[in-house]
Amino acid sequence: MLNLIRNEVTKLLLKKKLFLIIGLLIIFITLLSYGQQYTYEKNIDRFENLSGAGSYDWKSLATQRLDDLEKRLDSPYIPDDGIASIDIEIKQLRYFIDNDINPITPSAAKFSVDFVEQGISLLIPLIIVILAADLVSGEFSTGTIKVLLTRAVPRWKILLSKLIALLLMTTLVVLIMGLLAILISYLFFGQWGFDEPVATGFRLIDGQLNADAVILVSRFEYTLLIYSLTWYVAIVIAALTLLISIIVDNTVTAIGVLMAALIGGQFLQFFLSDWPIVKFFFVTNLDLIRYLTGSYQPIPGMSLNFSIITLGIWGLLALLIGFQIFNRKDVLV
Amino acid sequence: METPVLKVANLSKSIKNKEIIKNISFQLNKGEVLGFLGPNGAGKSTTLRMLVGLSRPSAGTVSICGHAIDDDYVQAMAHVGCIIEGPDLYEYLSGYKNLELLGAMSQHVTKTAIDDAIALVGMEKRIHDKVSIYSMGMKQRIGLAQALIHQPDLLILDEPTNGLDPQGIHEFREIVKSLAKDTGISVLISSHLISEVQLMCDRVCIINQGMLVRDGAVTEMLSTGEIVWVVNNPCQGQRILNEQFQLDARITTQNELIAAIDLEILPKINAALIAAGLELQTVAANNTTLEELFLSLTNQKTIH
Repeated sequence: MLNLIRNEVTKLLLKKKLFLIIGLLIIFITLLSYGQQYTYEKNIDRFENLSGAGSYDWKSLATQRLDDLEKRLDSPYIPDDGIASIDIEIKQLRYFIDNDINPITPSAAKFSVDFVEQGISLLIPLIIVILAADLVSGEFSTGTIKVLLTRAVPRWKILLSKLIALLLMTTLVVLIMGLLAILISYLFFGQWGFDEPVATGFRLIDGQLNADAVILVSRFEYTLLIYSLTWYVAIVIAALTLLISIIVDNTVTAIGVLMAALIGGQFLQFFLSDWPIVKFFFVTNLDLIRYLTGSYQPIPGMSLNFSIITLGIWGLLALLIGFQIFNRKDVLV
Repeated sequence: METPVLKVANLSKSIKNKEIIKNISFQLNKGEVLGFLGPNGAGKSTTLRMLVGLSRPSAGTVSICGHAIDDDYVQAMAHVGCIIEGPDLYEYLSGYKNLELLGAMSQHVTKTAIDDAIALVGMEKRIHDKVSIYSMGMKQRIGLAQALIHQPDLLILDEPTNGLDPQGIHEFREIVKSLAKDTGISVLISSHLISEVQLMCDRVCIINQGMLVRDGAVTEMLSTGEIVWVVNNPCQGQRILNEQFQLDARITTQNELIAAIDLEILPKINAALIAAGLELQTVAANNTTLEELFLSLTNQKTIH
């Protein structure tokens, strides 16, 4: 079995797709780091110009933000759901100010979390799809599936070795992504930020932000936590991609189907509050991080546990169905 | 009786309620070279895919060296190497890496076995180049090598000379023939090239529309027991054959005299013809070519 896994990993590495992915990540991370640094500096400049003060005081900035939000609440045009999320942010800001926690100075650790926060519903799944899509369908389109399957090895073992190799590579990609995010953003911000305290444990009770269970963790622990969730999402996407790759023999179709699901899912987010069944679709549950950061629109029944379980079920079903189909498929290429 | 290297019994396959392979049975014994012949769409490739586990039969059994392919898959596959409408190789790897990768999947493929296979197909010089730059002939050779690295007892070749030029076809044929002679490996080869099958195979199975229509030794199938005379007066010859030997002979458009006779009396007939004053130009046995036999058996105008 080890030999089979080694073979599959070799094939994945030598296909040079990994380098394409790393290249894409470097480009995105650099752009986003630069963007964040630029905005931050612009904000400081703007504040200094407006207030005439010589230096930057985060507390004032935070208080400024708080005032903005409270003013927005007074506006008559906000829908009910919008009120809830603004209210949450207000409560969070109040907490940060009262407890002397600076919410907005960029640091490498914070960036690495922000990056996956932004990317977890689209960019990161897309990267995993690129990695995984031709794992099976590629072998069909080049015909190499024939030499692969006419060995003295049962089909399920071959698929299992591909799955394990895929999981290993997915883990590697998430790791590399984290390292790149931290290292590249450090070049821009000059701050590691691992020691900063992060408040987490905000809970939603009846649509109200509840800060009773909030604890402070170091940003390092927080980053690890966030990346674990990212890894979980990546694994589920990998399993789903493998299934689609098995069903459609064609890599391009596989990528198309998955992209349609991911992008379509973004639109479905709008229906979450009115159409309950949408919450069982895997795409609406991809953003696990929002439960931890506390900044999202609360939907009844959706919690971190719910999303994790839903994604887990989708992943397991995908694998079960995939193995069955692969075992019985006639190879006609 | 020794276990046949390949035993196929009542093999059938239906796709969407249409039976495309109908009850095919045949066997291959040790050291034999069996040819699979049939027009396009006859079901040769479908049948061969069922022999190596790429396709599922709807009914019937396949055993390789006594191991059934459905119950004892791993054991069965360990005895067979195949090229199915290949060559199918990883283009982004070198020829050597391809063989290494595939060898690692079997239990006991040693580096020596890989090197021997490479030497056998004559690819030592270019083995470390990427497959994407190989010519078709080189790819087919590597394809053959991958079928041989685990030293199988049965070699199944589905149209292995696809896309090769005449030189390539000749070389491939020579490799397979010497392989069969030196190692005693049994070969099942399917091909469009009737001449190839005629030159390489001991036995031939002719498939048409999913059914086995002829199964026998090549030499048996070809000798029709007819003799052809080219004489200066075929009509007189015809009369002599009729009156003296009670034989019905026919005269072809090329003025040849043909009759089915017992070879023992051929010298007497020849003597009689000469005694009657006829000039005997040539006397030959009328062997059908496999092509004529094939075309007559598989006479069809439309695809079914």
